[in-house]
Amino acid sequence: MNPLLAQFLAEANDLLAQVDEGLLQLERVPGDPELVNEVFRAAHTFKGSSGLFDFPELTRLTHAAEDLLDAVRGGRLALDSQMTDDLLAAFDLIRGWLAHVTAHERLPASAGGDAAGLITRLRSPLGGGDTAPAAATAGVPAPVISAAPDWLAWFDAEWLTEIAAWLGTTSSTMRFVHYTPDTDCFFRAEDPLHLVRQVPALERLGLVQPPAWPDPEDYDEYTCLISFVVATRAALGELDYLFRYVPDQIEIVELDAGAITRHLSGEPPLTAEEPVTVAITPMIDTELAADARAVLRAAHSALTMEGVVNEGPRLRSVRHAVTAAARALGVPVDLAESGPDELLATVARLAGEAAPAPAMAAPMSDMSDVAVPPPPPMVVPADAPGRADDPGGQVGTRVLKVDQEKVDRLMELVGELNVAKNGLTFLADAAEEEFGSRVLSRRIKDQYAGMHRIAEELQAAVMDVRMLPLSVAFGRFPRLVRDLSRRLGKTIDLVTEGEDTMADKDVIEALGDPLVHLVRNSLDHGIETAEERLAAGKHGAAKLTLAAVADGDAVIVEVADDGRGVDPERVKRKAYEKGLISEEELETLTDTEAVDLVFRPGFSTADQVSDLSGRGVGMDAVRASVEKLGGTVTMRSKLGQGTSTRLRLPLSMAVTQVMVVSVAGQRFGIPVDLVVETVRVPAGEMSRVLHQEVVMMRGEVVPVVDLARALDMPWTLAEGADRPILVVSVNNQRVGLLVEQFHREVDVILKPMEGLLAYADEFSGTALLGDGLVLLVLNMKEVLGLAARVA
Amino acid sequence: MPLELHEETANLVGVVTVDEVEQLAGWLRTAKRPKVSLRRCNHLHTGALQALLLFKPKISSAPNDAFLAAQVLPLLTGSNGPAHKQGSDPP
Repeated sequence: MNPLLAQFLAEANDLLAQVDEGLLQLERVPGDPELVNEVFRAAHTFKGSSGLFDFPELTRLTHAAEDLLDAVRGGRLALDSQMTDDLLAAFDLIRGWLAHVTAHERLPASAGGDAAGLITRLRSPLGGGDTAPAAATAGVPAPVISAAPDWLAWFDAEWLTEIAAWLGTTSSTMRFVHYTPDTDCFFRAEDPLHLVRQVPALERLGLVQPPAWPDPEDYDEYTCLISFVVATRAALGELDYLFRYVPDQIEIVELDAGAITRHLSGEPPLTAEEPVTVAITPMIDTELAADARAVLRAAHSALTMEGVVNEGPRLRSVRHAVTAAARALGVPVDLAESGPDELLATVARLAGEAAPAPAMAAPMSDMSDVAVPPPPPMVVPADAPGRADDPGGQVGTRVLKVDQEKVDRLMELVGELNVAKNGLTFLADAAEEEFGSRVLSRRIKDQYAGMHRIAEELQAAVMDVRMLPLSVAFGRFPRLVRDLSRRLGKTIDLVTEGEDTMADKDVIEALGDPLVHLVRNSLDHGIETAEERLAAGKHGAAKLTLAAVADGDAVIVEVADDGRGVDPERVKRKAYEKGLISEEELETLTDTEAVDLVFRPGFSTADQVSDLSGRGVGMDAVRASVEKLGGTVTMRSKLGQGTSTRLRLPLSMAVTQVMVVSVAGQRFGIPVDLVVETVRVPAGEMSRVLHQEVVMMRGEVVPVVDLARALDMPWTLAEGADRPILVVSVNNQRVGLLVEQFHREVDVILKPMEGLLAYADEFSGTALLGDGLVLLVLNMKEVLGLAARVA
Repeated sequence: MPLELHEETANLVGVVTVDEVEQLAGWLRTAKRPKVSLRRCNHLHTGALQALLLFKPKISSAPNDAFLAAQVLPLLTGSNGPAHKQGSDPP
């Protein structure tokens, strides 16, 4: 892919997120000028960058959105939710397009049709007047017939009569230019006659002589005294382009036969409006004006930045830039001694006056055969230093954007370094035992210690790179909640807390789907309609809280609503009806346990299936995916007061601490998080309840599972020996595992089971140990299920 | 050399730039009955045109250049256009 396009796509993502967020905030705080500006800027940047590529639909759509935002920014329109919907829809469509562009490097074929409707909707609040740019893109600019100006008299009357007759017969128009060069223009290497010479399809040149020629003796040959009138069939756009460096010295009118005839017969012009403004307006929308607007924006951001531009050269340069921009826009202002506040007001006024640029620059056909003069430096870029050292620019820490895959690769390498490093300890043992050199063994161990420290630091550094704030996971919810609440007709305030809590990117990514499930559930089942809420004596607007807080090496994410809560009786009855619990359980389950039933596979309380949730695949999927991450889910609920679901997740999934145990000569890993304690129990203290071996520990009966039997590995413990038992806690229940031997704890990089072994649910993954052995890490929940089946 | 100046006649050759304007004006000032040939002139700087307009030398031969011949020469010779209205405001 073209690197420029790749860069554009990368930036587009950020911009789209910015626009989305900005629009949602705007809906809440309508009319916040800073917010409007922010969204507008993002949309504008988007449009600007899209112009670099051949995506005309994209440019047109963003342009329409930008126009609407510009009107909002200028205070001509108030943003309502219909407009927000349209704008969001527009940017959603763009997001879809960009996904297509990423894959195929072109827009989908349907883009034009999809965009057309949206563009019309976006433009409709602006009124008919602003649809002109759309018409212009179709290539039929509406001709503006001006009133004939006085300077037409400088053409000879005979010729004017002829041309008026011709224009009348053919119902066409002609452009007339009055070009008044500055008197000192020769000193700027300008040659007005040369410029006139380049006017395409020049029909007639007339000369405006000075009112009085100076005496030949006093004549200064370097003062330009004459000016020109030109009649041409060239298009307005061509003239604008040709005279783009001297816009203040020319006047262009478009005349038809009627206007000329009225001028010849000495009648006053029909239209009362000032011809100059009519003629000059299209002139403003040249590249020059676009640059002028850019300067104004830069000046505005420089000025609004507190304390940066106060006095001195910076203020002068901003003042200078604004004056130049104003001149280019045809609205000269005098800012000689104005302070920052006045400047800001002027900038705002100018920005409001500057009409938006047409979607596409007027085509410059017919220009190819005309020699274009070497472009003299343009007025606005000359002021560029004011922009280049603009204090409003990015001066923060430099941020490097790196592909995720590269960071993953780095992490992998750190893992392998750890494994290689761990090999040194085995080498040290071998040096002592096989080669009998204690000294060498000690030196290897010293080396190991040094490497260990560096490897640890390296690992911590890479982990730190992978850390992302929870705001990444929360980011999509304002939009989701808004859309769903509108659809469900509920009023919901979303509150997010602790977005800056950090967690590993894998955790953040994996958190996305469970959170969406939980939020949808809350919206659909938990939160009542406004009427129900008011009837229950609650505030009409429901509150949905997303909160994150760090807890040691775990992060806790809570989704809480103040809705109707879970009814334990109803849950129990439903679970019984669906055959999920037995009749005894129906009688004996506590309320807390009943609430937990919602996590059972196949459970659903919704009486009707909506498209949001209620198909009974929700909560058990949440629990499964969170447990896959090594986390836990709990739900607390109070009937009538709300529900809160709490996810506890490890901060990082990259490195897992496991306890190594061996069973029947084979070593296995068990996540340390689950381990409660290790005990050696004398054989005599083991007892049996029904068919289950149990052990009494501190007054609690703990069932003991023979791990070897569960894994189907033949092995018998020596009669009468102490039983090594590893006590683990799974789903808040303690279970003892009978093992052969305990080993140490190790940090491992867990690789998921893949390929032929993918079906083996009893293992959550494999890890490579320092001595080259492959360690299988147990998925305790599955292992216990297996043990129950074996028994 | 764009200017070939003689006692009473001058040939303007090729492109007459702003650099030649002073010399041309000086010659027009001193020459008694100046005659100027534009035959080989391809372009005339505005300053040169203005000098010709002011001193009104006799144009001895028309330029070959199409633009000069069609649009500029009529302004100099006053054969049409408003040149006769010199010094007056437009109506």
